[in-house]
Amino acid sequence: MDFKFGEKEDRLREEIKKFAKSELVGMVGVSGLEEESRDEDWEFSLQISKKLAQRGWLTMAWPKEYGGQGASFTEQYVYMDEASYRGIPGTQMGVSGIGWVGQSLMLFGNEEQRKKYLPSIAAGEPDGIWCTAYSEPNAGSDFANIQTRAIKTGDEYILNGQKIWTSCAHRARWCWMAVRTDPNAVKKQHGISLIILDMKSPGITIKPIVNYAGIHIFNELFFDNVKVPVSNLVGTENRGWYHLMQSLAFERHSIAPQFYGGAKRTLEYIVKYVLETKYNGKPMAADPLVRHKLAERAVELETLRMFSLEITWKMGKGIIPVYEAARNKAYCDLVMRNIATTGTEIIGAYSQVDVRSKWAKIMGNITRMYMMFPGISIAGGTDEVQKNIIGQFKMGLPRPY
Amino acid sequence: MDFDFNEQQSMLKTMARDFLAGACTKSRVRELEKDEKGYDPDMFSKMAELGWMGLIFPEKYGGMGAEFLDLMVLMEEMGRNITPGPFFSTMGLCAIPILKFGTETQKKKYLPPVAEGRNIWSLAYTEKSGRFSPVDINCRAVADGKNYVINGEKWFAPFAHIADYLLVICRTDVAKAGTDGLTAFLIRAASRGIKTELIPTLSGDGQCRIKFKNVKVTNRDILGKLDQGWKVINYLMQRATILKCAEMSGACEAVLDMTLAYAKDRVQFDKPIGSFMAIQHKLVDLLTDVEGLQYVVHNAAWLVSTGARADMAVSLAKAKANEVYQRVCIDGIKIHGAIGFTMDHDIGCYFRRVKADEFMLGDTDLHLEKVAGEMGL
Repeated sequence: MDFKFGEKEDRLREEIKKFAKSELVGMVGVSGLEEESRDEDWEFSLQISKKLAQRGWLTMAWPKEYGGQGASFTEQYVYMDEASYRGIPGTQMGVSGIGWVGQSLMLFGNEEQRKKYLPSIAAGEPDGIWCTAYSEPNAGSDFANIQTRAIKTGDEYILNGQKIWTSCAHRARWCWMAVRTDPNAVKKQHGISLIILDMKSPGITIKPIVNYAGIHIFNELFFDNVKVPVSNLVGTENRGWYHLMQSLAFERHSIAPQFYGGAKRTLEYIVKYVLETKYNGKPMAADPLVRHKLAERAVELETLRMFSLEITWKMGKGIIPVYEAARNKAYCDLVMRNIATTGTEIIGAYSQVDVRSKWAKIMGNITRMYMMFPGISIAGGTDEVQKNIIGQFKMGLPRPY
Repeated sequence: MDFDFNEQQSMLKTMARDFLAGACTKSRVRELEKDEKGYDPDMFSKMAELGWMGLIFPEKYGGMGAEFLDLMVLMEEMGRNITPGPFFSTMGLCAIPILKFGTETQKKKYLPPVAEGRNIWSLAYTEKSGRFSPVDINCRAVADGKNYVINGEKWFAPFAHIADYLLVICRTDVAKAGTDGLTAFLIRAASRGIKTELIPTLSGDGQCRIKFKNVKVTNRDILGKLDQGWKVINYLMQRATILKCAEMSGACEAVLDMTLAYAKDRVQFDKPIGSFMAIQHKLVDLLTDVEGLQYVVHNAAWLVSTGARADMAVSLAKAKANEVYQRVCIDGIKIHGAIGFTMDHDIGCYFRRVKADEFMLGDTDLHLEKVAGEMGL
């Protein structure tokens, strides 16, 4: 039993640190979903994404034949962790491609699909940007309730319906989509398939959904007789639900390592802030309440770190982490919430200042996190969905709904 | 990176689990709560025969030469079974510092009888405040030539009433305060002037109040150096604390297992109560807590075992263990419903022990403050 990293991984960390220093001179990168909103953030992220690809880091754990380096999951973890810590944007543009499309195609796609799509994801190019269309107005947590139909006619599917909460649809080249291919299936889950949609296809309408902080991440998608070649079916027709469970595990797994570094950095910023900020003649850092809150956050952060390491180690052993991914996603949400709320308690009234204002504290990071965390905690499955998965798949309890 | 135990550790875990399942049943645990000695000498000597007492001592002191992580594994199993007795106080609180700070003479004298299960030790550090803190140490050892005379009181000394020896932390330099001017002494429990009385506790776990009246010791009884007793405590706080966390972690897993089994078994409204989302989600939260604790403890124990400075990791673990052990018991009892509230049900045995473990080797506030300091605050 040991929790150390090897020399190779330590050197990788150093390289990423150097990369951040040279590429992010004087700028506060907006990463994750937020980079999808403003054009200038997107463009900057894209530049970095290409550079990360050139360095061989972007999809490093993928096999070489698909544009990866055949690196271990541990090395990939170190890269994600350090990149997140350094605030490097563009590591997961659109989230989907690198987050789960690649791994899903490798697991249950066919070779033709892998050869067609994976290299452009690995290259960090606009052609490699994906969005994921799962939710519909009547199918959120009740995912199996999706109604958008893809009916086979000859060598095409004809797609009709709508999707909602599709992040990055306004930027993506391709869409990873869950559709109903058998509207007559007795069990809802048995009529679902996974398809790849070319976002340039005629018949697609994209309507932006702006969040309450004015950030454009999500979209509504409308499909009017959109043609999808049958070669775009991923895996087995009508077995999509089961493929999806694996995709979702990949999606949820990647959240903890991506988030941890940034969370650690934010906590460090808060520590620096309370050391430098005086109240009533003393640094805030001397206040026992402040010390206690920040120490509590450190306990949670350490727990998240161990959960991230564990899932990485398990994946390296070939285990597909279903309950672990759900556990980590829910725990990540808790950590984000707590760091954000503690951060707002510490910066006080400045919590409400616009993130780009000259009066914003800690570069607006706290306010940003505070505005984002409720949405992130819902995306990819609510707490309840994650806990239901853990209850059933890990604890062997009957389905509670 | 490897989250798994090695083969030796896995074997030890299985062996310990099997042994304790037989020797340390819950009915035995309950009997020992009422027993004045608070432990089973027969169980204790069997553990010695298995090599547990001297597990990490070098062979020349009668030990098994095993690793720190092996001992951690053992503590998890002892915690799982809430094994009553002076194992931790002897081994974790006293033998470990002797192994580190003892002279060759001291090690040769004290360690083999511990390994053989013939000697019991107690740590006398905490005083009337009940805190594991150097600030409250008033027990004085006044120099008198090569001797020292000890006067004062210690509280919550585990199994001092049956101990052969005590590791006592005294203030030797009254001009100093806090962590300065403290000295650790190794004292025969039967020394003249020592009076021990049992503090009645929730789980009858042998905690004592010790009065020292003109107790004479020599400078050869000093562990480590004069006025540098804090080094001993600090060392203890890394090594012993993480072992205590491992013990608590084992107990948490047992409570969760028991509660999950109940939720699958107990039928109300025509369904096992674990079918209901509110209960199921509580169980999931407890699983997240218990797994998280296990990993945080494993990481800290590993770090300690490498000899690296592990203050932050250990304090994170203890703060978490304190929180999780309490929560698992409370939520576990609530999920059991009224039956969890009875003397007959096993879950109460764990709940009765939460506070003993929480305050041993530092409460949550102490450890969070330690973490804050390590964070640079």
